[in-house]
Amino acid sequence: MKDHEIEQWYSYYHEKFKIPKEYLRRDYEAELSGKNPMEAPLEIPDKMEIFFKYSLGQQSRFFRELRENKKIFGAKCIKCGKVYCPPRANCHLCYRQTEWVPLEGNGVIKACTVQYYTTSAFIKKVPFICAYVQLDGTDSLMMTNMEVEDVSRVKVGTRVKAVFREERTGSITDFYFRPVE
Amino acid sequence: MRKVAIVGMGTTKFKARWIDKTYYELAYDAAKMAMEDAGIGREEIGCAVYGIYNDFFQRQYQPDAFVHDYIGLGLKPMVRVNSGGATGGAALRIGYSEVASGLYDICLVLGVEKCNDCYNYEMGITTPEVLRAILYTADMTYDNPAGRTAASGFALAVIAHMEKYGNPTEEQMAKVSVKNHFNATKNPVAQSPQIITVEDVLKSRKIVEPFKFYDNCLYTEGSSAVILASERVARQITDKPVWISGLGASVDYVIPGNRPNIYTFESSRVAAKKAYDMAGIKDPIEELDLAELHDAFTGTEIMAYEDCFFCEEGDGGRLIDEGTVMPEGQLPVNLSGGLIGCGHAVGATGIMQTYEIALHLRGEAGERQQKNARRGLVQSIGGTLCTWTVCLVLEREDR
Repeated sequence: MKDHEIEQWYSYYHEKFKIPKEYLRRDYEAELSGKNPMEAPLEIPDKMEIFFKYSLGQQSRFFRELRENKKIFGAKCIKCGKVYCPPRANCHLCYRQTEWVPLEGNGVIKACTVQYYTTSAFIKKVPFICAYVQLDGTDSLMMTNMEVEDVSRVKVGTRVKAVFREERTGSITDFYFRPVE
Repeated sequence: MRKVAIVGMGTTKFKARWIDKTYYELAYDAAKMAMEDAGIGREEIGCAVYGIYNDFFQRQYQPDAFVHDYIGLGLKPMVRVNSGGATGGAALRIGYSEVASGLYDICLVLGVEKCNDCYNYEMGITTPEVLRAILYTADMTYDNPAGRTAASGFALAVIAHMEKYGNPTEEQMAKVSVKNHFNATKNPVAQSPQIITVEDVLKSRKIVEPFKFYDNCLYTEGSSAVILASERVARQITDKPVWISGLGASVDYVIPGNRPNIYTFESSRVAAKKAYDMAGIKDPIEELDLAELHDAFTGTEIMAYEDCFFCEEGDGGRLIDEGTVMPEGQLPVNLSGGLIGCGHAVGATGIMQTYEIALHLRGEAGERQQKNARRGLVQSIGGTLCTWTVCLVLEREDR
């Protein structure tokens, strides 16, 4: 490739995938210089991406209550009385409907670990707590992460309380848990 | 139901990166080896089952169709199986059903996985992006936004087990890592053959409490295949069939809050019991000669000793302390090196484990050959806190 063709290559992938050019140069300079033999394996940048306008179905109210009213709701089976949070519209044991019940947003850690390495999306937040929380008044577990100053202070049995964010979007991350002193 | 035998098998090397092959090119290599081993051509294969886990890893939805085409099985029926880490075992179960039912006499079961084409440009490494691809298999609405990994799910279970029973200890887990890395030094297809010490494991960097670096399997690229046949056909084409005498599977509630506890893997217990019942095994530690257990993490290998009934619940740590599961012990576990030493090429893993046991039963395992191996167990697990388990009992002809 000629120099201007190499620059075009960097610009094309930079614009297509928003990958900074410095990273592209680091990873592809040797290849684009023409040093690699014609038969050598060739790597290319790519990305898989789909946009959604996703329906939350029968769980819609749960997320609207988070966004509009800073309230967490559970779903109670009209037959067996089991309360689910995360909510579900139908009890998988009784095959009956559930009804909405407001929760206080307090709970207890039932299982807990510390994450020191994780996915691209979260790796800048390590170390953080990864835990199952049982909200008071429910019979199920909610997966959550907690960013705390001292990870050793959060344990099984630690009481937690839900704190709502100022900016809410109608998703499960509209609130987070904080240990209760 | 008809008897089903493994009549051919092959595996590529397990390694971090097969930069010079795509997933279907890797699959071709394994398919060719298995067909050559069985002494049959593609024309004789009746149907196929493909174990391929993550579509992001392959950068392809419905990758099975492209494997099927590339290995020349057009117009034959096939089905793709995806059961998380248990994909390979689950594919074997479907292949078994194809032959046992009488629908087909010969079935190719092939697992393949790439993963390290995923890449984090900012960090210039693959793993965090591989983990991001995996996280699409967590519940997208409630779990995915919490940033957990497959490791943190299993870590939560191991911690719960430690709290209930006082083990596995970090030293016991480290011993499993030392064993499996050592076993891999005898396996020519293994990704991570290493002589390391308990100290090395304990001092390696933390990944997720209580797992350190050496407590985890690595991400692997590779392909493994077996050819299954009915008894009539098996007798015609091989003098050393390996029989699938037991098969059990179970899928637990994927949402752990719907389970009674998380300190035991109930799907593993159900699947193992079913496989033992079918094979007529009453006392597994006495009646099995070797086992390949799904050691994605050291702690879960120890839990698997219990869940496969090698000992009482809560007593798993003792088996590594006493050397029962060592190569020279009563019931060697993961002579291949397991996922930690040989590697975890997800869709291929359960088939690699099966290949390993069959190799011993055929007396072809070379330096690591278990003497007089007559009967072995494969345990293939996957999903959030072991949602899936498939167990297979394999037996040699003359027992």
